This record gives sequence, structure tokens and C-alpha cells, in this order.
Amino acid sequence: MTARITIKGLNKSFATPVLKQLALQVAPGSIHGLVGENGAGKSTLINIICGLLAADSASLTLDGRAYHPTSRTDSLAEGLALASQELSLIETLSIEENILLSSFPQNAVSIDRRAVRQQAKVLMEIVGLRNIPPQTQLAHLSLAEKQLVELAKALSMPADRIKLLILDEPTSALTSSQADQVHKIIKQRAKSGLSVIYVSHRLDDVLCVCDTVSVLRDGVIQLTAASNSLTSNDLIREMSGEELLQHSGDEPRETGDLRLGIEQLSSADFPEPISLQCHAREIIGIAGLAGAGRSELLHAIYGLAADRQGRVVLNRSGANVLIDSANTAAKNGMALIAEDRKSQGIFSGKSISFNTTVAGLGKLSGNLGAIIPKREQRVSEELISRLKVKCEGTLQSIDRLSGGNQQKVLIARWLQSESDVWLLDEPTRGVDAGSKFAIHEQLRKLRDQGATMIIVSSELEELTALCDRILVLSNKKAVAIFKRGQWSKEKLLAAAFSEHKGERALAG
Amino acid sequence: MFGKLSLLFEEFLIFIALLLLMLFFGLMTESFFTLGTLRTISTQLPALTVVTIGMTLVLISGGIDLSVGSIVALSSGVIGIAFTVFELPLPVAAILGILAGGCAGLINGFLGSYLRLPVFIVTLGMLEAGRGMAYLVTDSQTVYIGASIQALSLPISGIGVSASFLISLGLVVLAQYVLTRTVYGRYLIAIGTNEQAAKISGIRTEPYLMWVLVMSGLLAGLGGLMNAAYLGASDPNAATGLELSAIAAAVIGGTSLMGGRGSIVGAFIGVLIISVLQNGLAQMGVSEPVKRLITGLVIILAVLIDRWRGRQV
Repeated sequence: MTARITIKGLNKSFATPVLKQLALQVAPGSIHGLVGENGAGKSTLINIICGLLAADSASLTLDGRAYHPTSRTDSLAEGLALASQELSLIETLSIEENILLSSFPQNAVSIDRRAVRQQAKVLMEIVGLRNIPPQTQLAHLSLAEKQLVELAKALSMPADRIKLLILDEPTSALTSSQADQVHKIIKQRAKSGLSVIYVSHRLDDVLCVCDTVSVLRDGVIQLTAASNSLTSNDLIREMSGEELLQHSGDEPRETGDLRLGIEQLSSADFPEPISLQCHAREIIGIAGLAGAGRSELLHAIYGLAADRQGRVVLNRSGANVLIDSANTAAKNGMALIAEDRKSQGIFSGKSISFNTTVAGLGKLSGNLGAIIPKREQRVSEELISRLKVKCEGTLQSIDRLSGGNQQKVLIARWLQSESDVWLLDEPTRGVDAGSKFAIHEQLRKLRDQGATMIIVSSELEELTALCDRILVLSNKKAVAIFKRGQWSKEKLLAAAFSEHKGERALAG
Repeated sequence: MFGKLSLLFEEFLIFIALLLLMLFFGLMTESFFTLGTLRTISTQLPALTVVTIGMTLVLISGGIDLSVGSIVALSSGVIGIAFTVFELPLPVAAILGILAGGCAGLINGFLGSYLRLPVFIVTLGMLEAGRGMAYLVTDSQTVYIGASIQALSLPISGIGVSASFLISLGLVVLAQYVLTRTVYGRYLIAIGTNEQAAKISGIRTEPYLMWVLVMSGLLAGLGGLMNAAYLGASDPNAATGLELSAIAAAVIGGTSLMGGRGSIVGAFIGVLIISVLQNGLAQMGVSEPVKRLITGLVIILAVLIDRWRGRQV
């Protein structure tokens, strides 16, 4: 029997290869699960299938015919429906308008409002959205309800056209009964020939709904098997891989005195209070799946979160300083290198020198706040050479630099302001191998000189190589903390998935 | 001046544009290169210059101030009434006028920075409210002040230019220095380039965003003083639309409407270009409507060039 969709030789690189010679097949009427840890490439794969991203090379067929989508319009025309993880809904439109957004029933001149109402009602009933008027504005719905609208939108494609339904984390905010309803519909549709690709971190759900499961790791499908031959532990093991942890030794290292005391800290984006003690000469890693709350925690520590509660106390030369804002944090030797350097780190259009000195201008200025140009030049040149930033001098625009070198400039910025507590969010994301190695060396050096570091990373290898302790977050809660020598990639992953397995989310 | 090489080059180009424009009018009219022209331009220049300085700083910080024209009129009105009705000495009246501008700027700044209301809307509201206040203060009539205030606007013997002109020139130099050589200026540029990154770098953005609007208000207040000096009176209709000329001058001079980039010296050359343009067209006998059309086209051209510049990064 011809497969519904086949993928062969799919290659995609950003700064580094993400998908390597990937091969996957989905049979007609099959519900095919796809699992993998952060950064494994699941979203990239889905985007390529839907034409939202171009592969470097790939051979795709749909029902035996060659398939080359160049846009979402192409994939829509070919019958690919998508319910994305990042909801594709418009807050200011109503439920019915959102559901039928790509296919408004029209009469000669305008939208056929009655048909919209009718069709929307049918779909809402199918996905289990009851007792809500279809003309309700989307912004008034809960996240669970919005997820159901996203699903209804995907299912709005006429049954004679829809060939493949791709679901990316469709039940992450749903209650048990809501998720059951979703699974019931999917199974029904699959029986009448619809193929489904089901991506989820809820491993129990995946094994329950899907007939086949594939595990994506290191850009390649590692395993494809019938779901009734697998357990969730098998899946976790496949996702973590059997590689030896390659780094310098497993023994715990000497850490220094208490530097940062985090006491019952919570915020609007990170509701479960967390306490943690960080020491000098210590690197603490924060691991977890996307959406686990890692960046939110880092921002809360730095004083940047809304509705912040609890305390963050910094011990600086014997005195205790309460960190209550980004300004206080920065002035007291704390550094934050945020996840998105383009929107949160780099001053685009400005020189390397500007970008390097902006957080520590106090040291470069004299009376009345006048900046001393020679001092600025000397300091930025020294830092650039120390970190081996590849550039044509400190007056060059920072936009010309590669991602890795831009990241080095951000590190230089905080070196210049003499920080000793570093919060780093994905410090080597989108960075070439050479720069990554150099950045790791630099971080180790800072640690040996007495710095405290908290590093968020999606790469477990990075964390296991650098850290003294690793804190694992799952679903915006702290679930485990491992000491150096006591962890394994499998244990870390299991902890990261722990709030998604077994018991489903209770709140709607 | 005081800046990095690329900005210097841009300022040079704009200066060339100014010279070419002057050359053009010199050829097209008989009396362009005369003392009379210089005098006319240099008396009208100071008010627009100081207002443009404030506007440039606000634009660089990522904001905009649409209320400056109304603040000029308000300040001028306050000065006129303080001097004629309350019979306060002229220096005191002048300070009150400038402070009135500062108060308006403070309201703009507080609403825009601490209450996080969009600065465009806030200053648009102040544009209306300020103009209304100017009418209220002057009872909708021109207030005649007299020769004592005109002294500011008349050429000083031996130097040839007025006190207003010298003050505005001095402020251009001072503002350019502050922008390019002080921590305050650097922070304004950082906030205008990337407010989030500036916050993370430890810059407290609220005070800076507020004070730059206060500065704009104070400078517009000073513009009101200079305007009153030029007219010898307080005119509540004065400076209508001045904010647009200020924005145009700033953009011609290399300031980006998106924030983070700009030059005071460039903006001053922009002021000269606009003044030369309007004066030259008048001398050519071009009608008022056509003058406005051409000025408008120049502004659009300036914005297009600004877009092109932005892409060069």
C-alpha cells in the first residue's frame, strides 16, 4: 500500500545541522507519533513538511506523487492540516471566525454568515467545545479552550480534501476528559483514512493514541516501532541515547561560599515558589523541556518578572543585597545573557565598542558623566582580543559578526562591568563549534576565578560538561536537582518529562 | 562632530546638500546672497533650532513629541501675560515661560514613561491641550510686549548676529556633546535602539524617557521666548505645525524615526536646509501653496532616504 507521506534524505542546517538524512513514512489511516527532546528538530521537520521552511535537500512524496511545498498555501492545497503548538489564532476575532479563517464560506459578494455559524457549531461540538457561543471573542477563552479552537480550525478542512493532519502538542493544556475527546475524534478520523502525525511530550498519550511511534534524536529518526511494543521508559531511553557522557571527570568539584540565596521565588510566569542556594565557584544548570519555565525563572531571579514574590539575596563582599530589579542586579555584579540575543541582547546598528561598554559606562567616564574615549577604546579592544572575537576592529557594526562572535561580545559586556554572578540562557544556541568551545572555556575560567553561574540549556551534553549541579524543571515546577556524578542523561530526561507522564493536567 | 566616522560622513553629505541648495537659489534669484537674506533666516532660525534639538533627542530615545509647537505658543503667552498683566520683570517672565514648557514636558514624560501610554498619543493630546492653554492665557489675542524683548532677536552690534542665534548655536554644540560624549546620551541611544536590552544591561529606562520629554518641553519653552522676541509679541497662533518642521529637520539631518540613531549637528543642518528652502522659494516668488507642496515633498524625500539608510546597516 502506498504510504500517505514519505520523507527521504531530508537535510536541514541552521548554523549547525539540525536534520540529517532524515527518513520517515506515514501509512494511510495511521496515527503516527513523533517524540524527541528539545532541539531534536521536531518543529523544524513539521515546518518543512508544511512548506513553512525550505529544506536544504529532501525528497517528499504525497500518496506516491512528488511533493514540493514552497509555502503554507501549497501544503494547504495538498490537504495538509496543521494544529500548531504556537497557536495560529487571532485574539480579536471570534471563535467561528478563527475556525473558518482559511476557508470562509462565501456567497457571491460577502461571507455567508449563517454557513459560518453552522459549520463552526458542528466543529465545536466535535472537539468538545460546548456551552460557549461561537461568536465569543477568542481573547476571552482559556488556554485549553483556545487549543480546542486550534484543533477545530485544523479539522475544518473538508473531509474529501484533508489527507494529513499534523498535531503539535495538541493536549498540553487540556484536562483528561478533554484530551480523551480529542483522541476519540482522531481515532475516528483515522479509521476513515486520515493520516495523523502526533507530536507530544505526553508519552502515555502518545502510546495510547498512536499505532506507530518514531523517536527523533540528533537529527535522525532513531527508532520507529508499533506503539504496543513500547513503554514510555523505552521512549525516554531512545531519546537520551547511549552515548558516554564526554566531559572532564565525574567527580564533584570544590565550591565556595554562599553567593546567591533564592528564597521562595515565584512570579506571574513561574507560579510555583522555588528556593535555591548558589555558591561561588559553582555552575548550576537548569534543564527541562520547552515551556518548562527555565527562561522565566532566570528572569525572575534577575528582577525582571511581573508579580515577583519571594526574595533573591546576593552576598557581596560580606553585605547582603536584596535584588529587586534589573537595575539593582546589574549594579551589583549580576549579569543576564538572555535567550534571544537579537531582541534582548544586541544593540543592532551600533559598534562592537558600544555593545561591549554599555553596561559598565560608569567606569569609563569622568566628571559630569563625560565618557573618556581613549579609555573606552582601550577597554573594548582588550576584551575583544581576550575573547578572540573575529572582527575588523571595535568600531565595526555588531550586525556583521557571526552569532558566535556576537555571543562573545555579550560576554565581554558583562566582563567589562566585572560581574561575578552570571545568568545565561542558551549561551551557545546558533553558535558554531569553534566559538562554542571557546565560550565553554571562558565560562570554566570565570568559574575557577570565583564566579557563580546559572545556565539554562536545551543541550544536556552542555550542562553535563559544565555544571556542578543540574536543576530540572518540568511544567513550571522544580522537580529534581542532581549533583555532579549522580546524574545520567536518562535520569535528567525522565525528570523533565515527569510532569507530563501519568497524571494529566488537572486544571482546564 | 564628536561622532563616529559613518555619521561624520553623513553629516558631510547633508552639508553638501545645503551648499547645493544655496547655490541653486543664488543662481535663480538676484538677492539670495545678501545680508538681508542672512538676517531674515537668522532671526527665524533660533526658535526652530532649539525645538529641533529637543525633538532630535526625543526621536533618538525612541519617542516623539508632537506638542512642541503648542508649547512654544503657550510659553510665549505666559511670558507676555507675566510681563504685561502681572508686570513681572522680563527675565522672570522669561523663566516662567520656559518652566511652563517644562511642566508640559513633565506631564508628557510622566504619562509616557511611568504610565506607559504611547508617547505619540500623549503628545498629540498635549498638542491640543497646550494650544488651548495658550489661547486661555492670552485670552485668544496677541499680547504686545515691545522693544525690551526684541533685543534678544536683534543683531548684537559688532557681532552681527542676535543673542537668540548665539544661544541656539551654543545649545547645538552642547547637545551634540551630551549626546555623543556623555553617559546620559549613550543611554538615550541604547534605549532608543533596544529598550529591552537596555533594561537587561541595568539601565533604568523610565527616568531617562521622562527627562528627555521634559528637556523637549523646556527647549520648546525657550523657543517660545525666542519666538516672542522675534515678533515683539505673544501670538497664541504662533508655531502652528512647528513640530512637523522639527521632525523634518531631524530626519534630513540623519535621525532615524525608529530611534537609536541621530545627530544634533545634522539636525541643525536640516534646519538650515528647511530655512534656506522656504526663504529661497519665497524670494523666487513662489506662491505659498506651492511652497508648502515643495517642502512636503522634501520631507517625504528625507524619510525615503532615512529608510534607505536604515537598510545599509
